[in-house]
This record gives sequence, structure tokens and C-alpha cells, in this order.
Amino acid sequence: MLLRRLLNVAICGASLAFLPMAAQAAADIGKAAPAFSVKTATGETLSLDSLKGKTVVLEWTNNECPYVVKHYGSGNIPNLQKEATAQGIVWLQVISSAPGTQGHVDAQTALKLNTDRGAAPSKVLLDYDGKVGKQYDAQTTPHLFIINPEGVLVYKGGIDSIATAKVEDLAKADNYVKLALGELASGKKVSHAVTKPYGCSIKYAS
Amino acid sequence: MSLIEHMLKRSDMGFRYLASVLFLLLMVSANAYAASEAATDQVKARLVASVESVHAGDEITVGINQRIIPHWHTYWINPGDSGMATSIAWTLPAGAEAGDIQWPIPHKFNVGPITNYGYADEVTLLTNIRVPESLKPGESFPVKALVNWLVCDDVCIPQEVELTLSLPVVDAGVDGGKGSELIAKAREQLPVESPWQVSAYEQKQGPLLKIPGKVLEPGSTAEVWFFPEEWGRVSHKSRQPRRIDSDAFLLQLTAGDNPLAAGESLKGVLVISKQISTGVLAQGYQLEVKLEPGIAESIVDEDPAQLEGADTSTGEDISLYSALLFALLGGVILNLMPCVFPVLSIKALSLLQHKQSQHHTRLHGWAYTAGVLASFVLLGLVLIGLKSAGSQVGWGFQFQSPIFVVLVAYLMFTVGLSLSGVLTIGSSFAGVGSSLADKSGYSGSFFTGVLATIVATPCTAPFMGGALGYALTQPAVVLLAVFLSLGFGLALPYLLLSHWPSLQRFLPKPGIWMERFKQVLAFPMYAAAVWLVWVLAQQAGPNAVALALAGMVLIALLAWIYEITRHGSNKKRYAANTVSLLGLLVLLYGSYSGIQLFAGSVSTANTASAAGVEKNWEAYSEQRLGDLRDEGKPVFINLTAAWCITCLVNEQVALSQQSVADAFSKSGITYLKGDWTNQDKQITQLLKQFGRSGVPLYILYPPGKDAKPQVLPQILTPEIVLNAVQKL
Repeated sequence: MLLRRLLNVAICGASLAFLPMAAQAAADIGKAAPAFSVKTATGETLSLDSLKGKTVVLEWTNNECPYVVKHYGSGNIPNLQKEATAQGIVWLQVISSAPGTQGHVDAQTALKLNTDRGAAPSKVLLDYDGKVGKQYDAQTTPHLFIINPEGVLVYKGGIDSIATAKVEDLAKADNYVKLALGELASGKKVSHAVTKPYGCSIKYAS
Repeated sequence: MSLIEHMLKRSDMGFRYLASVLFLLLMVSANAYAASEAATDQVKARLVASVESVHAGDEITVGINQRIIPHWHTYWINPGDSGMATSIAWTLPAGAEAGDIQWPIPHKFNVGPITNYGYADEVTLLTNIRVPESLKPGESFPVKALVNWLVCDDVCIPQEVELTLSLPVVDAGVDGGKGSELIAKAREQLPVESPWQVSAYEQKQGPLLKIPGKVLEPGSTAEVWFFPEEWGRVSHKSRQPRRIDSDAFLLQLTAGDNPLAAGESLKGVLVISKQISTGVLAQGYQLEVKLEPGIAESIVDEDPAQLEGADTSTGEDISLYSALLFALLGGVILNLMPCVFPVLSIKALSLLQHKQSQHHTRLHGWAYTAGVLASFVLLGLVLIGLKSAGSQVGWGFQFQSPIFVVLVAYLMFTVGLSLSGVLTIGSSFAGVGSSLADKSGYSGSFFTGVLATIVATPCTAPFMGGALGYALTQPAVVLLAVFLSLGFGLALPYLLLSHWPSLQRFLPKPGIWMERFKQVLAFPMYAAAVWLVWVLAQQAGPNAVALALAGMVLIALLAWIYEITRHGSNKKRYAANTVSLLGLLVLLYGSYSGIQLFAGSVSTANTASAAGVEKNWEAYSEQRLGDLRDEGKPVFINLTAAWCITCLVNEQVALSQQSVADAFSKSGITYLKGDWTNQDKQITQLLKQFGRSGVPLYILYPPGKDAKPQVLPQILTPEIVLNAVQKL
């Protein structure tokens, strides 16, 4: 009996150690977007829940990535940010570069960079531990996600259709994000809900 | 820091400006070499050709060779989660035509959670070019390539170079020369046409590739990866579990963000990398397969390399050392099992009865140890043999054979008879009875070890589950090491006793009680025989039971004949021995053919049902589990076997309790029971998924489609089950 009890204790202990980690919700089109609560560059903590009722754009960024440079230097993304926020859309820039990696900037620098580049996101999310990035399976900078007012993910993918770092390709490219936001505004279904994201890999903490 | 990199890091600089500066810079460097070479800080590029001169109308091959500094890489046609494929824009004289890039087999790079496909160190991208008919000998054929690539380590830099080559046009009769050896080298790296008739089936998870024939030997350690040519068709990073059947190879892919519909084609390269003495040999096969509607197949990952560090694995990861330690402990605990203990006690008592020399005692200890180890090695070799033959085996597999069960039942019964004093077996067998008086019976000690191993196997100590599960997924050497450790654990107590006489003082003084004790020990043996006959009833039905019982009567008869003639004349003994031998042959042959006959006629659904509550479970099947999981319903799975004592105790003590049954029905849990008494491939696969090789295994799937299953301990109490259910 004693032996049995001993075994019990040992085995329970061992099993506990092997219990699988809790499942994480994935970012799938047509499903509720994964919830998050994260610090912003302006000091407050922002949760996705608090944005219910508004269309939300998540844009992963890394100011030193040549692909981000293409879309900011040309004014492409800043213009889109201005158009979107003017319509009441919440545009969230997300920085998931871990400390010591490319694109990791402190709150102040992040804000200054936006001023310098003429960028106008609603907020900058500081996701240094990559938690939000991994929740959304964000892979590249830029990588964009659109969440509708009901909190459902309706778009994920690239900013446009031509995956290069060349500014001259902008004119020929279909801007998927602009298209999706337009379709959402007129109550239509997003026609290209999933596209290929392109750019630099996100510099997650390993 | 180079100028280029420096400029790239200056984010406020317009990219257009930057690109033009970059371009100018490279033009300058290209001009400086005035040749087919250009270099950036990360990549040295060369334009090479398969010939030194061309004829009008030729098809030649040119290659862009990239030599990349360590830790950086460029990309394949599908760069994976991020990155960009290298592209080439050709400028050729009128009438010349360039084909598509021929991509060498790619490699996989993992950068945190991001997976890329591309090339490190060196790669040559080949393109076929048609030389115009209009060119005359003495003219030249200029080739200009504007090459764009993205090169990354942690950071990424897009680069562009221009490479030119001018090849003289010669008369048709003049040899074009052998050209650059880089071309031939690159051709070796190209994927070849798939020699197989590959099928792809639509599964819930994603496409399942099925390749007929012997692609890999069972148990092969080769790495296999399918690189999808188009983005999003298949998840770039998800594990690709595989199964090697005797007639096919299966690879389960996970659908990506842009999944295929049935009828669409999956294109890509299947790369098989084998470890050879000089490094890794990788062979790529070009596949293009139409996706067909699914067949229900589930894959258990058989790739040891992928099992390690697997992100979705629920198996228990055990290191070699802890596996060896667990095995040793498990072996020691086996000594206390009801079937082993009697054999061992007798052996231990013989130490008391015969005050032999220290030397002899020790030798007996070692002979016994050798017996145990030899049996474990044999068992291990049989397992390895079966495994490489592709059989689905696990611990306790021997008991899935009704023949084995009945033989062990006979053995238990015979040992019982011997302990009861009906039969006195000679020194050669089991080391019991008269062998106690046999001082030189080292072989007796050896066979006691063998016997101990045989009787120990059904009593799978819980500690052994994990260790053996680990061992079965490992190469042969590790498997044998774990088995040896287990055997050594089993032999250890007796070995210690034989080595340190001081330990023997803890044993009681010899006397008449020893004879009585021996007789008492006969009864556990009979009980074990009864249990085995019951197991047999599950496997082969009532006819087999009758046969087994008749066999036991025959054994008793033979034992009696043997015993009464033992001290008779030589002639009588000779006659009796002949009769016994014949009887034994009849017994073995009759049991074998009879049981073979009966076993086939029993369905496996005939499960051991525990009394207590009415049946509240369904038989396990992959299909049923899949359906329930799809609906997001919670499921409890009990994998059991009639010959597994631990399983039966757990069912009695915990799973058959009313409180547990109530909790199940209240939480809407479907209770599935898998019976492993006989071979069952589906159950073996499920066990493997959880890193186990034997029963019992209890799995609780919480509600929700994607919820991760929870493995319950191997020894259950109602509280453990109730707590787990409550936490759902």
C-alpha cells in the first residue's frame, strides 16, 4: 500500500511536469481576433476589447527594414494611415523587435520616427516580448491585419501585391489594405482576405 | 559598417535615392572588374556559362553563382514566411530566349518562429538560354543579367547587381569548350523528376502525401521535408509527421494561409537528407500532385529528429540518463511483483540453506544476473527485429500472442506444482526444488534469471512505461541500453545479497518454515496461471480455455509420472521420460494448433468489462475520436488490455466507480475504451502519439476543437479523475 502511494506521488509529479501548455487562440480569418493588452508608446495600456465597435488595423513595423523604408519613404503607408484614421479607423503600429535587434526603439524614438516620417498611426504598441506578434503569427515587416468592429479578423497579409523593396513598383501594385478598408466601409466582404505578407522577418526574442 | 549598410540604416533617407546610389556604386564596382563578377558586403556574384564559346542556335546554360558570407542567406522561389526570391532580368540580343530559373534544392532556416527556405554559403541558379540563329562566327553573344536578391541574417538587405558575359561565336565544327565547372556542380543540386506515382489526399489538417513503394527503410533517421513552391499552400514551419509503411511512405502536411482546394495541384520539392560518413546527402524530387478528396489516415510521427523539440508533441520527453534510471528503478520494483517474488525468494533462501563459500555465492549471483540480462537482450533484439520489419509493437507485445499467453500459463502452473512438491525438477530448470541442494548449478541460477524475466514481463511497473516508450523510439543501441538497465535492476537485489553476506543476516534463520513458505508460494503461481487463462479467454474464446485447462491436466499427469519413476530403475525412468517427452510434444503441438485456430474466430471487441456500473463506454476508434473532437466534445480515453494488471486495477478502483461515471455524464464526456489485448494498429498509433509503448494510458480531451489533451497518471484514484474532470 505504501509502495502504491509512493508510486502515486512520483507519477503525479512526473505527469504534472509534462502537462501540455494551455492552448493559444490563433489568428484565423472569420474568427475572433486574438485578444491582447499591451503598453503603448504614449504610456497607457491598450486592450483590443476596448476598441470594440471600431475597425482596427494592426501593422507590424521595423523602421530599419528596407521594405518598411520603401513604404514609409514613399509616403505610401503614412498616407494610408491618415486616410484611415480620418474615417475613424484605429491604426495600431506594432513593434515586436526584441531589445538589441533591428527595429527595436524606445517609446520616445518610436514617436519621433513617426513625426519625422510623416506617419500618423493612432497608437504605437510596444510588443518587445513578441507576445502579440506570436499570437497573430505575424512574420514580416510590414505585415497587416484588419479587425472589423465586431472583433472578427477580416484581413491578414501584405500591404500590396508586389513583393519587392523597390519604390517604383508601388504604382503597379494593388494595395490590398486600401482595398479591404474600402470594402469594409461600403459593407462588402473583403475580396482578398488572405494575401502573402512580404518583407523582413520580425526580429523576435529567441 | 559598410557604406551600403550604413545608408540602409538611415531610415529618413528616401529609398529611391538610396537605391540609385546603391545601383551606381555597384555599377562602378562591376565596371572596375570589367567582368562577370560583382560583390556586395554579403554576396559575391558571378555569371558563368556551360561553354566558352557558342554556335548559332545552341542552347546553353548560364548560372548566377552567389557566394554568401557565413550566417547570411538568399532565398528560394518560395522564400517561406518572409524574404524574397532572387530574380534575374536578362538583356539578350534579338532572337535569344532565356528560360526560367532552375532552382537547386533549398534549405530550411528557422529564425525564431519564422521559417525561411533558401540558400547559405553558395548557390548557383541555372537558366537555359537559346543562342539566336542569326549570329555569325566571329561575332559575340552578349549576356547581361540584372540580378535582384534579398540577403538576410537577422537583418535583411535587398541588393541588385548587373553581370555581363560575352561569349564568342564559333564555327559549327569548333568545340564550344567545357565552360565553368560550377554549372555541372549546380546540376547535381537540382531536384530530379519524382520516380514515384505520388498521391495527395485532402485531410482536415492539410494535404497528405502518399508515395507508394519503399522510399525509406522503416526506422530510418533520414530527414524528409516537403518544400511547397507556392506561398501559403502548405504551412512553411509546421512539422511534417511521417509514417513508413512496408508498401508506402506517408507525409502529413499542414495547410497554410492559402490552402489548396480538391482538384488543384500541389507543387514543390520533396527533399530527403541522409547522414553519410562525409556529411549530409540531400536528394530532391520535383512533385506536382493533384489534391484528391481525403482518405482517413492519421500519421504518427516516426521521425526521431522531428520528435525532439517538437512544438505540438504531447509525448513525454525523457533524456537518455533519466530513461536509464527509470528503467533501473522499474527493474528493482519488478522484484516485488507477485509473479517474480516467489521465484526470487526461493533463490534467496538457498543462500541460507547452503553455507557455500563466498566465491560460489557470488558466482551464483552473477550467473543469475547473466540469465536476466541475456533474456532482456534477447527480448530487445526481438523488438528491434519486429520494429524494423515494420510491425506495430510495444511493451507487453508478447502477451498479444495467445500462444505466448498459454505457454506462460503452463510455465506458472508447472512452477506451482514444483513448489507444491508434486514435481521435483532437476537443477537445469528454474533452480527450485532439488536444485537447492545442487551446489554447482550455475546453469540453474542462469535459468532462474531467465524465468524471472519471463514472469516479470506482464507486471509492467508504471516506471517502465515512459522509459520503454522512450527506448522504442530510439536507435537500436539506446533501446538495448535501456533494456539492459531494466534487467540489471531486476537482478540487482539478488546480486547484492550474494555479494554482501552481511545482508543475508537480515534474512530469517532456515528451518521447517522454509518448506512451508515454499508451499505457500505455490498459490500465487496458480493464481497467475488462472489469470493468464482468463486473458486467453478474451483472446481466443472458451474453446481455448478448455484446451489450456486440458493441457494443465496433462502437465499434472506427466509431472506425476515423472515423480513416481524418478527413484525407480533406469529402465522405468527411461520409459517414463519417453512418455513425458511425447506428452510434452503433444501438449505443445496441440496447444499451438488449437489456439491458432480459435484465436482467429474471436473479435477484439470482446473487452474485459469491469463490474460496478453498467457499460458507459464505447469502443475506441480513430474515426469516432476524430468526429467527437471535430464537434468540440470532451473525450476520455482509456487504453487497456486484459493482461495488464495495472489497467484492470485502475478500472476497478477508479474508472468503474459510480462517482466517476456520474462526473463523466454530467460533463458530457464521451468515454472511449481501446482494448489492446490483441494487436491493434490504431491503438498502437495513439500510444505512440503520446510517447508511450504500452498500456495503460489515460487521456482527457477538454471541450473545444483545438484544446490540448491531458494525460492522466498511470495509477488512478477516483480523486485524480474527478479533479481532472472538474478542471475542464
